[in-house]
This record gives sequence, structure tokens and C-alpha cells, in this order.
Amino acid sequence: MSILVNKNTRVVCQGITGTQATFHIKRSLDYGTHVVSGVTPDKGGEMHLGVPVFNTVQEAVKETAANASVMFVPAPAVKSAMKEAIEAELDLIVCITAGVPLKDMLEIKAMLKGSKTKLIGPNTPGIITPSEARLGIFPENIHHKGKIGIVSRSSTLTYEAVIETNRANNLGQSTVIGLGDDMMIGIDFIDVIEDFQKDEETKAIVLLGRLGGTFEEDAAEYYKQQNYKKPIIAYVAGDALPFGHKMGYAGDVITQGPISAQDKKDAFAKAGITVVNSINEIHQELLKIFPNS
Amino acid sequence: MNIHEYQAKKILSKYGISIPKGKIAYTPNEAKKVATSVSLRGPWMLKAQIQSGARAHGYFLEAKAGKKGGVRQIKSRRDIIKNAEQMLGSTLVTPQTGEKGKYVSRIYVEAFTKVKKVFYTGMVIDRMSATLTLLLVETAESDINEVVLHHPERILKIPLGLEKSISAEKIREALEFLNLTSRSARSLKRLINGMQKTFLECDASMIEINPVGVMRNGQLVALDAKISFDENALYRHKDIALLQDDCETDERELQAAKYKFTYCEFEGNIGCIVNGDGLAMAVMDELEDKGYAAACYLNVKGGVDKDKIASGIKIIMTNPKVEGILINILGGFLRCNLIAEGIIAAASEVGLNVPLVVRFEGTNRDEAKEILKHSKLPVIITDSMTEAADAVIQAIEESD
Repeated sequence: MSILVNKNTRVVCQGITGTQATFHIKRSLDYGTHVVSGVTPDKGGEMHLGVPVFNTVQEAVKETAANASVMFVPAPAVKSAMKEAIEAELDLIVCITAGVPLKDMLEIKAMLKGSKTKLIGPNTPGIITPSEARLGIFPENIHHKGKIGIVSRSSTLTYEAVIETNRANNLGQSTVIGLGDDMMIGIDFIDVIEDFQKDEETKAIVLLGRLGGTFEEDAAEYYKQQNYKKPIIAYVAGDALPFGHKMGYAGDVITQGPISAQDKKDAFAKAGITVVNSINEIHQELLKIFPNS
Repeated sequence: MNIHEYQAKKILSKYGISIPKGKIAYTPNEAKKVATSVSLRGPWMLKAQIQSGARAHGYFLEAKAGKKGGVRQIKSRRDIIKNAEQMLGSTLVTPQTGEKGKYVSRIYVEAFTKVKKVFYTGMVIDRMSATLTLLLVETAESDINEVVLHHPERILKIPLGLEKSISAEKIREALEFLNLTSRSARSLKRLINGMQKTFLECDASMIEINPVGVMRNGQLVALDAKISFDENALYRHKDIALLQDDCETDERELQAAKYKFTYCEFEGNIGCIVNGDGLAMAVMDELEDKGYAAACYLNVKGGVDKDKIASGIKIIMTNPKVEGILINILGGFLRCNLIAEGIIAAASEVGLNVPLVVRFEGTNRDEAKEILKHSKLPVIITDSMTEAADAVIQAIEESD
């Protein structure tokens, strides 16, 4: 078991013929990911990395029964690529691309509403279920199948958390998800916690939050209301940032008020979530939960 | 990306928002000349064009600029020349510019507009609901952050969809909140629709009109204006991209932006190089926990060009405030060996005079470590973020 992706996930790569896509899809194929097709407009009919390329997602779905997309298209093309994937009723889109314009994202969020498609990202390292499927750019060599679910709002910090689960007697990971570093993202902490709670393989959750938005507060509130709870260890980045710093988006201060990283940690603690002050303390907390692993 | 007040007003007026008549001037003579075309008898407003709020509350560093602030009401034509001479070429300090202030290269000459009351309006994206949101405060505020901090209840937030025009119901709600009569209804509708249209058609990330003035006949006029644009969308607005004023940005920040990296300065003495915003925050938190602070950080993101990475590292190496460098790279997209090669290239060009601590993990980690071991540079290689922070702090303390 795992969440969102596994060895049966049939992956189509949008933008498969690009340089970065080629580099990472090859690695994903070597990893055993079931990449069944690619999409690049005007390159339909070709073969790339041993999989057929189609002009549209719809064709790729019809011919190869793909149910998830990993997207490497350039930022200006993301909106139309999303539209295609949503209209083709894929279960999941993982958008690696960074730099999607805000206005496009407003429209994408509106398209997602009421659709059956879940979006991870944009600007995410992706999702990986160790030994089964890698949709994204994770350095696969640090991942090992195991019992910790990881969800992060900060791309590179995700790897730090993965390493921490390895340091804790190789507890390993069930599924690792980067939600995306952008101002607006698809699924959030609550969606992922909900899935991890149901997943038998996942025994505990590591959650990495950061300044900006109220994703952490919302997750804390959700967790508090659950009857059955798997343990969560959380880290929140941004304590040292001055108030109103642009890394948190100027508009955030006005729409959400003066929220500090400490406020987020307090919200987690009140909800019964274990909070660490340094990311390198995560493995110690994991060992407390699993002393005999 | 930010632009100047006069540029923002010009854009907003194209979308139907009323602004006072005004013209830009680069010399005192120009100021005098345009003043007559702006208003025959005055009074006039002379406004220093620097990208900062609270200009009226600022002061000039130079004695020749007089004691008044960066926004001045002028009654006679003779005073226009005198005040323009004072302001142009001087340095204006405001609560938002820091002590260094900003150089005034141009002033905006505007017809003074008599109003009976003012209010604040802003437009931003609420990220949690992914909705364009209108913000209103009944009075003008020089710093909206102050209201957020101390009187959040004074802000009315009205969610706007992507539809073209604000509903009559929302207009009524806004009028009532601002204590305006129905005489202002049409003007308010035009103002809000104009802001929304500007926001969406020009790919703004934030618009503030502060203050909006209410004239005796109920008409609304934008007395000041600020627009920030979404840098990720500038590729489709070549005309707006041209408005960027490089003098407004820190030189090192500008340099980093050239390579598509981000660079930020703080008050401490440790230079940090990372790949990722979250990682930057985590490293700074780690230093703060140990009683230290970052002097600056450079985020090289998913950089794949060795020369650009070397140039980025040079920005940190040549910053005089930096007493030690901490490099923490978690390679995914980015390959660690490129950073190692960049360090060597940068050090051979500008020299390495401060302790340098690295921590590599992920893609091509071992290759990167080997490269540095063979470089003969005095680099300290560590295996975790905490270790790296401890090592750089220890090295700085020892070199003191």
C-alpha cells in the first residue's frame, strides 16, 4: 500500500521530449515506474525513451490507458496542458514546472474545482512511492520502502526529511510528496493527511511546513478533529525571517495577518502534533515512536 | 517587479480610473514648464518618484533639500523651481527605504486635488481560496502593515471572481463600509472594475491605491498608486518589463536576478548558498537557534549552468559583510558537482578569504565531495545541516 501512486499507476509525461523530462523520465523508467506514454504537440507518432508520443493527452489516454500525468512543459504552456489533462479526466497531475503565472494558476484552480483530477504542484519535486513509482525529480537513491509518510511544502527540504527517516534505523518511506513551493498549489496537507491516515503501510507522518498561507493552521485544525490519529512530527521553516519579508508574499500579510512560523508551530502543538525546532531532530523523534524498529 | 507612481497612474487611467492631471520632470526647468500645462494657477503637488511608501513622512539626507518630505504642496510657480532643485538629485529616506535612502532622479508634478475624505484600497490574491480579493480601509494608511498588525478588524475583504464586473450587492457593501453616499456608487464601481481589469490584463500581483480621494461631488480619484507585477508573467508584457528601474534594486540582487537566482541581505555575518526557499529559511533558522544570523543568502534553485553558478557564488564571496560561507545543497534537479566546480572557479577568480563549509546530499554528492577534496581549497565538508552550521560558526569564532 501507499498513497496516490503505486506500481499500477499508468503515467503519461506531458512535455516528454524536453531535456529535463528526458533526463528524469529515463531515471523514472529505470526505477520501475510504469510510464506508458508521452505527449508533445506535433511529435505524435514518434517513439521517445521507448514509449509512444502523442499530440494530445486525450489520445495518450485512449491508446495507453494512462491515469496520471507528470508535467515538464514550459511555464507558458502549463495552463493549456492542465486543461487537456483535466478534460481527459486523469486522476492525478504532478506539475514539476516552476514559474507558472499567478493569473494562469487562478484559472487552473477554477478548472480543478468540480473535476475528478487531483493536482500536485506546481513547482514540486513530485511524488515517490519507493520501489514502485517516481513521478518527478526526487534523487531516487536516498529513498527506501518503509513506514513513514512524508509531506512537504518546501521542495529541497523534502530530501532532508527523507534522510532523517533513514537515519532513524532505516524506517524508510511509504510515500513522499512535495506539495509545491508556489503561492497557489493543488492538494494540500489536509488531503494528504487524510490519505496517510487510511494507508495501512504508513505508521507515522512527517510534515514540513513553512511561512506563508495558513496551510499549517488548517491542517492542525483538521487533525485535532480526527478520532483515530497516526503520530505526526512537524517542522516549520521561517522563524528567522523578518516580518513581511517577500519570501512570504506581500499580499499574504494583508489577507492572512501577521502569522509567524512560531504561530504555526503553536497550532501544531495544540493539535497534538510533535514539533521539532531543527529539521535534524526528526530522526530522534521517530526513534521515540519506534524504539524497537 | 515594482514601478513608479506616475507609471502606475498612467496604466490605471487607461483602465478608466480617474487620476489628477500630472507630468513627469527630470530637471527643475522641466518641472516649471510642465506645471503650467498641469494646472494654470496651482496649487501643485511635487512628488519624488522613488519606489517606497510613506514618502511624505520621509526626509532628505542632503541639507540643500530642505526640511520638508518627499511629497510637497506648492502654491507659487517660483516655489516649483526652488523645490524641484532641492529634491532632484537628493536622497530620500523613508521608514521603508532604510538609512541609505533612495536617489531621486525624477519628480512628478501634479495638479493639487481638493478632496473631502480619503480611503485605502488594495487588490491581492488570497492564496488559500485562490481568489482575487479587494481590500478596503476607511482611512488612508501610510503603512498597511501597521493596520494588519494592530487593527485587522478595520480591513474589509471582498472576494472577486474572474467575472468582468463587480456585483451591485458588493458595491453596496463597500459603500456602506466606507461611509460613502450613493453619489459615489458609479465612480466606485469604475474604480474597482478598473483595478480588476488592470490586475488580470497586466498580470499584476498586487495593486494599491492609497489614498483614493473623495471629491465634493462624490467622484473618486486615485491620489497615489502602486502596482507590483508577477515576474513570471513579464514575458507576455514586454512594454511593462521595460518600466523596470534598475536603480531601485540592490546591485547584488540585480546581478543574481540576471542568472535567475534569488539573493537577499540580512543583518548577520554568514553567507548562505542553498537551492530552495524553504531550505534557505531552514538554514537561517538553524543559525538563529545558535545565536547567529545570515548576512545574505543566494538561492541557485535548479541551476544547471556551471558558469552562472560560479558567478552567483562570487556575489557571496565578494560581500564584505560575509565572515563565513555555508553551502547547503540537496541535489535533485540541481547536480552537486556543478556547485563544487562553481566554488573552485569563483575562488580562483576572487580568492577565498573566509571559512567555507559545505554540505552536499542527493544527485552527484560523492563526485562533488571528491572534486573539492582534490581542489586544495580550505573547504570543510560536513554531512548534515546542523553539522554545517556548527562548523561555520566554529570557524568564524576561531578566526576572530
